[in-house]
Amino acid sequence: MTNNVVGLFHDPESALTAAGELKGAGFESLEIMSPVPIHGVEKVLGKKKSVIKNFTFTGALIGGMSGFALAAGTAVLYPHPVGGRPIITMPPFLIISYELTILFGILATVLGFIVSSRLPAFRNRVYVPEAAVDKFVVTAPCDDAEHYQRAKAILNAAGAEQVRKIRGDDL
Amino acid sequence: MTTPTERNDLGYNDIHEDVVRSIVKTGPKYYIALATAGSVTLLCFFFPWFYQLYYGIGAAGMNHPGVWGTYLSSFIFWIGLSHSGTLLSCVLHLTNSSWRKAMYRSAEAMTLFSLVVAATYVMVHVGRPWFIHWALPYPNQMELWPNFRSPLLFDVMAIATYITGSTIFIYMGSIPDFAAVRDRTSGWRNTMYTLLSLGWRGTDKEWHRLHWAYTFLAVLIIPLAVSVHSIVSWDFAMSIVPALHQTIFAPYFVVGAIYSGTAGIVTVMFVLRKTMGFEQYITKLHFDNLGKLLLVLSLIWTYINAVELFTGWYSGSSEEYEALGYKLFGFYAPLYWEMILFCAVAPLLMFSTRFRTSFVPMLILSIAINIGMYTERFLIIATSLSRQYLPDAWGVYVPSLVEISIMVGSFALFTTLFLVFVKIFPSVSMYEVKETMATPKIEPLAPASGSPA
Amino acid sequence: MSLFSRFLDGWRKYRKPGYYEKFDYHWTMTVDLDKCTGCEACMMACQAENNIPVVGEDEVARGRELQWIRVERYWEGEYPNARLRFMPMMCQHCDAAPCETVCPVSATYHNQDGLNTQIYNRCIGTRSCAVYCPYEVRYFNYYDHGWDSPLEQQLNPDVTVRGKGVMEKCTFCIQRIRQAKDLAKDDDRRRVQDGEMQPACVQTCPTKALVFGDRNDPESQVSLSMDDPRSYRVLDELNTDSSVFYLKKVDA
Repeated sequence: MTNNVVGLFHDPESALTAAGELKGAGFESLEIMSPVPIHGVEKVLGKKKSVIKNFTFTGALIGGMSGFALAAGTAVLYPHPVGGRPIITMPPFLIISYELTILFGILATVLGFIVSSRLPAFRNRVYVPEAAVDKFVVTAPCDDAEHYQRAKAILNAAGAEQVRKIRGDDL
Repeated sequence: MTTPTERNDLGYNDIHEDVVRSIVKTGPKYYIALATAGSVTLLCFFFPWFYQLYYGIGAAGMNHPGVWGTYLSSFIFWIGLSHSGTLLSCVLHLTNSSWRKAMYRSAEAMTLFSLVVAATYVMVHVGRPWFIHWALPYPNQMELWPNFRSPLLFDVMAIATYITGSTIFIYMGSIPDFAAVRDRTSGWRNTMYTLLSLGWRGTDKEWHRLHWAYTFLAVLIIPLAVSVHSIVSWDFAMSIVPALHQTIFAPYFVVGAIYSGTAGIVTVMFVLRKTMGFEQYITKLHFDNLGKLLLVLSLIWTYINAVELFTGWYSGSSEEYEALGYKLFGFYAPLYWEMILFCAVAPLLMFSTRFRTSFVPMLILSIAINIGMYTERFLIIATSLSRQYLPDAWGVYVPSLVEISIMVGSFALFTTLFLVFVKIFPSVSMYEVKETMATPKIEPLAPASGSPA
Repeated sequence: MSLFSRFLDGWRKYRKPGYYEKFDYHWTMTVDLDKCTGCEACMMACQAENNIPVVGEDEVARGRELQWIRVERYWEGEYPNARLRFMPMMCQHCDAAPCETVCPVSATYHNQDGLNTQIYNRCIGTRSCAVYCPYEVRYFNYYDHGWDSPLEQQLNPDVTVRGKGVMEKCTFCIQRIRQAKDLAKDDDRRRVQDGEMQPACVQTCPTKALVFGDRNDPESQVSLSMDDPRSYRVLDELNTDSSVFYLKKVDA
């Protein structure tokens, strides 16, 4: 388990500045925890690509096909003519297909979210409860006391209200 | 955009405290309300329903031409009411309207619970609810599957998807708030929120993923919600009953659904504002905006009604004439004109800004609209079924006491579910309200301490 | 290739409207309105044959009677010159039945004999078929109806007694059709001959206004009867393709 330095900030701008400077100083795998989504994170920490859209698209595609397969397949497995219509009746089956497209799309999106954001996570991780209320928190893993002092200096310079170290008694 | 000046006095922490308080601090009024709603549900909904299960659908007022009755109109009503929550929330999310943010959580809850009540109504409606699972596609020993050509089965699929979708949507949007509440609670609440928040920390990556997932869900749910009510309308429009067999029914029902749903939101917002102490978050601005939306919807609704009458008259067929005349001047005519008054005439008041920004008149109007919309759903079924092709089979359907009681009970059921909801879900979306506020000002720096907390 | 052609064959077969090239038997009824006297004996016969419960005065007043065949009465003109018209109305066994498509659980479908069948076991009681039926001939069991002792002794053992929450309707006395087909099969696998079986209403009609038979047999009485120039189908403009033909001379 790595040790971490965390800095608590009052506003997103200084948190972003601090993160940028930490990054410049060679710290890696920075994270910013915040009570609201911060705009402009990608400028500091780099652009993120999410795989969710692939999940959604694949799910919707599978859903659409399985919807039609379900309707048409079950109709063919046990053919009983209804209302003088064909056994494979296109318009209603396409409606079923449409609904399942959306259902599978939604479920796949959830799956994509869970997979790509590494949730659910009930193990112990770096966390500052204030981040859920009104503090913007920058965290960075740091291995030894020297790193910690450096990070602390950068964070303080950027205007951190508080700097803590988490899970690191040997620092 | 909301004018930030309105909320300048509030900080992030205040919202946090307010919302946590609304969950944790429970006064005796809440328990009285819950107990009342719960017992009314039991007495007016479940008891008559069990009676009906025991004796048969005969406990309701259905008869030979009128085989469908208020159970189905209540079903449409609740589905309609569900429409403004999630649908409106999705549209406003995609169009980046920030005034949505204070109210959308409760609007989505409204969707969810209306759907639950609607789904219960399906079971109340059918003759043998103990076999209702036969309408679901599951592999079985008889190798017999449901009939996918049936508009009722489209309904099953659409509503199942809709319940799943809106549950996921409301849950997804609440994850950060669950996490925020998690840290402030203890005991069983803490365990529950720990599980519900999935270990959310609010890192930049998590926010990014949530944003995209949420946006995709919104994109998927809009066509879903439109399809759900179109499909409900096809239950009627796909028949060949005069006055039901109408091409315009799908848009008619969708507009009607959003219309009654928006009115429902106004009602719920008024109640939430008064009872939960959310005066700062739900403001005149919200009522003004919702009023404008309602006004537009009422005009579209009136137009579609006029078109319906016109096409009926223009068809020139004797059955359509009969159905039309019966609707306007027959046994149910007083209800028809009441509906016109409540849903087409009264909403014109909302042309006035002063009306839109006054809370109590808006509450009264929103309730009137929903009464009118309920009447509309009832009339669609009752007038059309009463006058079909063969005059020998004409008849009149009047709801029985059991039906009326179950209708009253359904509102209590909805209220009960909603009351439970406000104590479990943060009923105002904290992080999104925080987003609308100015970021906290930098205060004089406290001496930084390096020691672990 | 063979898989593809199999798929193509299946597609052609299953995309064919109506599915059947030709029904085994195409049971049809004709109702000669010029012969009908409105005696309602058909209603009684049907009640007895098909175990249709008597719902009682109150329920009839509420419009919940069960009668698989009913005689509709229409008055024409004003009192001194009033004329009474009768029209027996039963399930029309439409080949393009609106009621069949709407049932979510396929409790009603079209069988190989061209009959619109109702499967009581499968019915969940959505009552949508009754709404979709333009002839209003589907009846719903609002209660469990009983028979006062000893009336339960006279129930027809060949017909299911329906419970509450189930839709029911005229079956063209399918139990008699099955019996006739079984007999014909035992008897050297021949086809059911014309006049070999009749539904209860046809059997009982004193004026022989009702004729029943197989439309696939061009020589059958019903085939001749339905080709009568007076023949028409009720609500034919709805394209339900019904199997009951009415004969009526149009008054000049």
